[in-house]
Amino acid sequence: MSAVLITGGGGVGKTTLSAGLALAAADRGIRTLVVTIDPAKRLASALGLDGLGSDPTPLADNLWGAMLDATRSWNEIARRYAPPDVGPRLTANPFFEAATQHFPASQSFAAAEEMTIHIESGKWDVIVVDTPPAAGGMEFFTSPARMRSLIGGRLLKWLTGGSLPGRRLVYQFTARPALRIADAALGSALLEAVADFLIDLRAAYDGIAERSREIERNLAAAHKVVVTTADPAPLSEATKFFEIHNGIPEFVVFNRVLPESWYHAASPAPAPFGDNLARWGTEAHRQAEARRQFSARWHIEPATVPWQPQTPNDLEKLGRLIDAAVGLDLDQLFT
Amino acid sequence: MLDKRLLIVTGKGGVGKSAVAAALALRAAFDGKRVLAMAMTDDTGLAAHLGIERLRYRPTRIRSGLDAIVIERPEALNEYLRVQLGVPRIAQLGPLARAFDALASTAPGIREVITIGKVLYETRKGTWDLVVADGPPTGQIASHLRAPATVARLVGAGRVLDQTGWMTRLLGDRTATGLTVVTTAEELPVTETIESLAAIDDEQLVGIENVIVNRTLDALEGDVESLDDGPAKQAALLHNGLFEEQERWIAHLPDGPRVPYFFGLHTPSEVAARMADLWGSP
Repeated sequence: MSAVLITGGGGVGKTTLSAGLALAAADRGIRTLVVTIDPAKRLASALGLDGLGSDPTPLADNLWGAMLDATRSWNEIARRYAPPDVGPRLTANPFFEAATQHFPASQSFAAAEEMTIHIESGKWDVIVVDTPPAAGGMEFFTSPARMRSLIGGRLLKWLTGGSLPGRRLVYQFTARPALRIADAALGSALLEAVADFLIDLRAAYDGIAERSREIERNLAAAHKVVVTTADPAPLSEATKFFEIHNGIPEFVVFNRVLPESWYHAASPAPAPFGDNLARWGTEAHRQAEARRQFSARWHIEPATVPWQPQTPNDLEKLGRLIDAAVGLDLDQLFT
Repeated sequence: MLDKRLLIVTGKGGVGKSAVAAALALRAAFDGKRVLAMAMTDDTGLAAHLGIERLRYRPTRIRSGLDAIVIERPEALNEYLRVQLGVPRIAQLGPLARAFDALASTAPGIREVITIGKVLYETRKGTWDLVVADGPPTGQIASHLRAPATVARLVGAGRVLDQTGWMTRLLGDRTATGLTVVTTAEELPVTETIESLAAIDDEQLVGIENVIVNRTLDALEGDVESLDDGPAKQAALLHNGLFEEQERWIAHLPDGPRVPYFFGLHTPSEVAARMADLWGSP
């Protein structure tokens, strides 16, 4: 069983590459699931992902797809890991949906939880996960710990009296008066209502904390693919990944790569084609410099995927995209 | 567009939103205005395009006429409590601040109202001729623009409600405030742009200033097929392929400024400076 996490900044082509890699695995006869977040319509229709729900749906031979639905995931999380009397009250609370959408890292945590459920199901040999773009996908890896510190953190402990017996009583004497002052400024009983919600959430801490450690183990064991282009913004996102993972070797894929040979090519072509080659050559050279710098800094041999004018819009083109990749060790990735 | 007092810049991740925000701020400063550039969520992009390491909650002087800040939540929250709600400083320590912090991360609209509130407060203050806000990405922009109204519905009375009134008015004042949406001519950014334009227009949250299309290519004249196989032909085929794809997506967008693809530029600050030059008065 191999889980493959595709991370990287926004707009670098993560979703397309996730789909391409999943298809490549399926083509090798491996039972594969691709979990994606928000694919382009054309890619979605190419894969048959249109209107796909969060349950895995067959797309092609050996290939299944599922979309992330963070709200649904969080309802499941509350149902599974909160005490039985608290779970339903939590999900029915008007703050629940807003809160789980607002919590830092909450979409990432939901995605990591979905991944773990699919790994545990034992139904697939390869699971490719297209991660949410926040913080270059780093948030995905830190989300279990962040969720623990959010729900178990001092703030909630203070608000709710922690897990002491009679915690509501403690809360009555510490937090509630402060909330009243704040509510007076707000002009409503808003904070008290929020606090009641947080008390229930706090009750789910033990279950969610335990689960988050399982999720962390699965994240640690997964193959991590960092996708980037040679542009500064995605590169700095990719750099964050290395800084936080202390330079552990990962699969790095540079997408939208131009042939550096264009830079050195003599251009006997008539205008405007000669000038056009010259400017694209400059761009190819800039890309190559950025790639070399990044590779030298982190001691990696990145794979490269050539720049294509169009996002692949059918399975065949998607297959060709991965075929055209240079230096991508698929055997290693899928085992 | 630089005649406004507040420009909020949004766009899908990776399209050059921060580059455009930095360039607009630089342009206005070159033209002699007193300008504040604000990073509303994350300062990485804006700082890099302004050529500095990082931003702070206190203004950093970038050049003559241009300062920049990032809205950091603890500081923004304190300022909001003190300046806008009139909560005495002493009460901001300890329990009350923590209670508000809990609220800010839980209740819909509060976190956003603190962020957009700071932007609007700086605009209203009179210190700046123009405030350029490097806003949240397209996916989150509507919830920020909607925040004062959301909060107004949530709280029935009190000082928070009083504050939302002028915020909503300043946001909706088309002579003062404009939203600039940045996109590239690709499927996902264009689709997202159209969706958020529709939502914002539908709810009349803010006047839409324009849609700026970044990294556009020009048409390449001449017969590619007449070229011999080789790099010149490959480059021309890629260029034409990308150009056609771009035209196809641009057709879905309203007319607006286009920024050309800058070949071979290395650093974000080079990109922002080039863009600011491009918008210079002829």
